[in-house]
Amino acid sequence: MDTKDSLIFEKGNKKAQTNFVPKLDIECDELEEIIPKKFIRDEIQIPDIPEVEIVRHYVKLSKINYGLDSGIYPLGSCTMKYNPKINEHIARLAEFSQIHPLQEENEGALQLIHNISNMLGEITGMDGFTLQPAAGAHGELVGLLIMKKFFETKGVVKNKIIVPDSAHGTNPASAKMAGFSIIELQSNDYGEVPLDHLEFAMKQGDVAGIMLTNPNTLGVFDRQIKDITRIVHKYGGLCYYDGANLNPMLGICRPRDMGFDIVHLNLHKTFSTPHGGGGPGSGPVGVTNELIPFLPIPCIISAENGIVCSHDKFHSIGRIKAFWGNFGIILRAYVYILSLGAEGLKRVGQIAVLNANYLKSQLQKKYYLPYNRVCQHEFVLSDKDMPNEITTEDIAKRILDYGFYAPTIYFPLIVNGALMIEPTETESKNSLDNFVEVMEKIYYEALNNPEKLKNAPLNTPIGRLDAVNAARNPILHD
Amino acid sequence: MDFISHDDDAITEMLKVIGVDKIEDLFKDIPKDLIINGLNLPEGLSEPDVLKKLKELGKKNTIYANSFLGAGCYFHYIPTLVDFVVSRSEFYTSYTPYQAEASQGYLQAIYEYQSVISRLTQMDVANASMYDGSTALAEAAIMASIITRKNQIILLEGVHPEYIEVVNTYCWGQNITLKIVPLDKVEDELNQEIAAVLFQSPNFFGNIEDVSVLVKKITDKAPNCLLIQCMTDPTCLGILKPPGETGVDIFVAEGQSFGINPSFGGPGLGIFATKEKFLRKIPGRLVGKTKEINGEREGFLLTLQAREQHIRREKASSNICTNQALCSLSALIYLVSLGKTGLTKIATQNFQKAHYVKKKIKEIPGYEILNIKPTYNEFIVKCPDVDSLIQECKKLNLLPPLPLSKYYPEMKDVALVCVTESNSRESIEKFIKALELANNKGGRN
Amino acid sequence: MEHEFPSELKYLQTHEWVRIQDNIAIIGITDYAQHQLGDIVYVEFPEIGTTLKKGSNVAEIESVKAVGELMMPLSGKIIEVNTGLVDNPESVNSSPYGTGWMLKIEITNEGEIDELLTVEAYKKIIEAEKK
Repeated sequence: MDTKDSLIFEKGNKKAQTNFVPKLDIECDELEEIIPKKFIRDEIQIPDIPEVEIVRHYVKLSKINYGLDSGIYPLGSCTMKYNPKINEHIARLAEFSQIHPLQEENEGALQLIHNISNMLGEITGMDGFTLQPAAGAHGELVGLLIMKKFFETKGVVKNKIIVPDSAHGTNPASAKMAGFSIIELQSNDYGEVPLDHLEFAMKQGDVAGIMLTNPNTLGVFDRQIKDITRIVHKYGGLCYYDGANLNPMLGICRPRDMGFDIVHLNLHKTFSTPHGGGGPGSGPVGVTNELIPFLPIPCIISAENGIVCSHDKFHSIGRIKAFWGNFGIILRAYVYILSLGAEGLKRVGQIAVLNANYLKSQLQKKYYLPYNRVCQHEFVLSDKDMPNEITTEDIAKRILDYGFYAPTIYFPLIVNGALMIEPTETESKNSLDNFVEVMEKIYYEALNNPEKLKNAPLNTPIGRLDAVNAARNPILHD
Repeated sequence: MDFISHDDDAITEMLKVIGVDKIEDLFKDIPKDLIINGLNLPEGLSEPDVLKKLKELGKKNTIYANSFLGAGCYFHYIPTLVDFVVSRSEFYTSYTPYQAEASQGYLQAIYEYQSVISRLTQMDVANASMYDGSTALAEAAIMASIITRKNQIILLEGVHPEYIEVVNTYCWGQNITLKIVPLDKVEDELNQEIAAVLFQSPNFFGNIEDVSVLVKKITDKAPNCLLIQCMTDPTCLGILKPPGETGVDIFVAEGQSFGINPSFGGPGLGIFATKEKFLRKIPGRLVGKTKEINGEREGFLLTLQAREQHIRREKASSNICTNQALCSLSALIYLVSLGKTGLTKIATQNFQKAHYVKKKIKEIPGYEILNIKPTYNEFIVKCPDVDSLIQECKKLNLLPPLPLSKYYPEMKDVALVCVTESNSRESIEKFIKALELANNKGGRN
Repeated sequence: MEHEFPSELKYLQTHEWVRIQDNIAIIGITDYAQHQLGDIVYVEFPEIGTTLKKGSNVAEIESVKAVGELMMPLSGKIIEVNTGLVDNPESVNSSPYGTGWMLKIEITNEGEIDELLTVEAYKKIIEAEKK
């Protein structure tokens, strides 16, 4: 594929494109009467492009892109579950898509946000929610700012946050954005948090709290979770739950009961809203009663005369985004929760775990499994012991040749050559069996035909790309 | 509803392969006292039932025939091509394109988005998106603080009040001090300790600033200080001089006007573009072009990832991971559908229609246009009775302009009016009527 | 994998090497470090004239998949940086002790030189890390 003449800009010509401009129906003055000439720009460097060319171009691009509707997307920590089409339909209805955030007649929208807050409260056990954050990492920042404000109002200096070495990169990055520094704890041989190290760190007196996900990024449930949160609380700290891995816990277990004070959720993971190639998402944050005053404004709360909006700035961390949050995404998640109901949500947790263990029990016969325990929604393999020096990257690229998307690679960092697999509950047994078959084929290729993996992918529109040159000499636009 | 495919036979067989009797056995690591007995939520609904329920809820939101409200979220015509492209499930159900070889379609689209923003703004480099205009501005301030190693920021009055609040929160998180200053007093506040000056043009009240003059004033006094411009409706770039030609260092904007439905304020699009020299400090994702390792074909991939949180972790300058990819795809399709002709015409219509309404308002006694500087599609009007105006608008099925008292209680007689190309002559005539009716009811002239 | 560690140089536990020439020290990263980082794409230097203490971060070394930090092995003032690395960052990989050098500093505390590791001591650290 020669990209130079396949960029959209090469499809333009000199024919003026006016298909999308309404007819001007008022009397006009000279533009220079309205705006000084020196403010007026030269010609815009975007060509006019015939409508048919635009359609063909993007249809062609879509065909060389792998989406979840094309096949399994076993990316660990991403929860690539089916995106229900009814959600898309409802999000486009005028009564939701054509309303302005500042219009007064917004009772339906505010009621929706309030309703989903209650539902998320029931699912997680938390007392109050904000739907403002636009993504999980944004939610993490909010949660950490809440911690910061909490200690500030108490007049106490606590400027460290504990994360395990298995944590997702956003955790320490968010902590830094909230002004904290990090203490990293080394996970023990079971992949769990070592209680003695935790207690030692907490004893120093300057730790605001811990950020954890449970099940963790190894896919295992930390059995000592109640001890962990107990220890943190004992020394006056708060416990933050990264909800990226909530899927297997739906209807089974709740972060509040584990002892967490602050929780963020990823609606674009657990609650089926589409990943969109990298967003938009939504990262609601739930807190205990004690922390509700610190939630960002505006806060939608229930009052005697209906839903109201609180702008009480006194304890709040302030505003973290304009308007109300990613409403279009919140709406999709709301429809999902209504569609599934109590039984459906519990089924999600059960089948997510069933599917992951089904894959694990078969794949561990060929691939190295560093933590040999029952997994929850995901599990981590590694390229240790692969024949012919085959790496995780080689395996991933060869999976692409078989028409599947590869699992997450080289994360979590505590497993060398990690290959992290999360099928989710919406994969059928057929789909899972196909994936196992392909992984077994690839193993035998690694043994007998390693060049196939070393040179993979061979069947995709393009081969392995030179990332080094791309970083040394970045070309970021045409 | 449920989206699980397994029947009971499949489940039985899978349990056998795993080697357990029942699904509950797979949760054995969870302490017994943490296992709950199901959720206290209603039964799930089927598709027609959930649609019915949402439609009932939707009825409680009013849809107006026409809008005169802007203030950070705008009604513009959205070409049908936009929804056509973003509805293709190969795009919207895909993940972040980390596996470049299977994601060339989306990667090329993001590269085209970065390119089209560069072309439109004449800034050297644009990233793949931030959450929205407000957080893009906040992250730009933090980026400036990191680059200059200074922690004082000046913000000029006229920035959207909600954006100011967001920047305030982010700065507090990083112990950066924020000072809000009137535009004409900026030189008095400048010194070598300032990391950046943040300003909005066209500003919240509609005023278009002479950005080149402002930039020169600031760089003369504080040459190491970064200039950050934000914009809430970038369709004005169809006519206005682009930021790349005025000397700003970082340009951020709310991209909702580029093909994204208002949707009660979200999702939006944070446009983020900078000068070349700041490339390695830009937050967020970047798509680059490169060649195959073992071939000659060119392709696209995520690059400079060492800046990002998943590699740099606590040393990253931003924690952003998921951004607004599908919204940037919407913006791309909007901009290429309109092309230079369409963008020029749309911007011209916004200028002309707002100007037309201003002229009509000047003929109504009791009202006063308060802007002295040129304006784009928004301007502020002193009214005899803002509440009356709002009522009259609603009676005529018009979404009323914003009463400024919402953000500035001392400005209780002022309304912020927005007129775009989507306001027909008919709707404008109705608006004028509403103004006249409100005048008769309200002020004693 | 056999790495090269010239015996006339001094080393730091954090994988920097040091060549002492009177009161000047030349600093870079070892063959082991460049191998761990992978293909180097960019090096970010401090300003000439900056004075830093032993142990502080002085430069950032970016590869495609990671970021490494160069630590000051001795306290000193930066007098020269290897601007050749702007166009040829790959020199750090191909010639870590030669054209891949990073900084020259004026040593301000000669007593710290004795705290640097000999090549044998550094090799022991590598062996332990490999396990």
